Amino acid sequence: MLQRTSAVDKITIDTISFSSVFEIGDSSYIQGFSRAIAVQREAEFFNAREGNYSVYPIFSESIPLLPIEEEISIQTTQLNPVIKVQNIDVIGVSSSSIIHIGSSKHISMETRVKHIRQLYPKRNNQTGRA
Amino acid sequence: MNYQVYNRDLCVGNIRVLGVSSSSVLMVGDTETIQLAATFDTPAESLLVGPFVPLTPE
Repeated sequence: MLQRTSAVDKITIDTISFSSVFEIGDSSYIQGFSRAIAVQREAEFFNAREGNYSVYPIFSESIPLLPIEEEISIQTTQLNPVIKVQNIDVIGVSSSSIIHIGSSKHISMETRVKHIRQLYPKRNNQTGRA
Repeated sequence: MNYQVYNRDLCVGNIRVLGVSSSSVLMVGDTETIQLAATFDTPAESLLVGPFVPLTPE
């Protein structure tokens, strides 16, 4: 079934951050999860101890997945069991992402992001755009 | 349903990627199952206009 070999001649990755993984070789089970509160403020005001995931329902609500009801019988024949890639160039890998050279069995990834923007009140005496 | 696959030559020259982020996967290989889920929230209530009030503490 899954017996293809992955052959990558050259790979360049500049940055791997926030629990990301660069895996060379096969794996059987991958589960990734990341969550973030992304705050943008009109002025640079940031308190290091703020932000609580439990306050926002987006971090606890369940994500529904459609059940697969169809019975599928899959037959795979490997006529050339090699996946060849000459060159891969990646600038950044972030937030529980994965770069994987090789095969796997089950992959399950999840991400939850909450955006918040804080702006000053609009001043009425301000002139509009020129 | 019957699904028949013949994997013949698979040869790729160049892959250029700027970013792989938020639980994404870049894979050179096979997998039996793959399941990806994402929620992304930017509702109207997320835009707070007024004095900067810190978010709920940790």
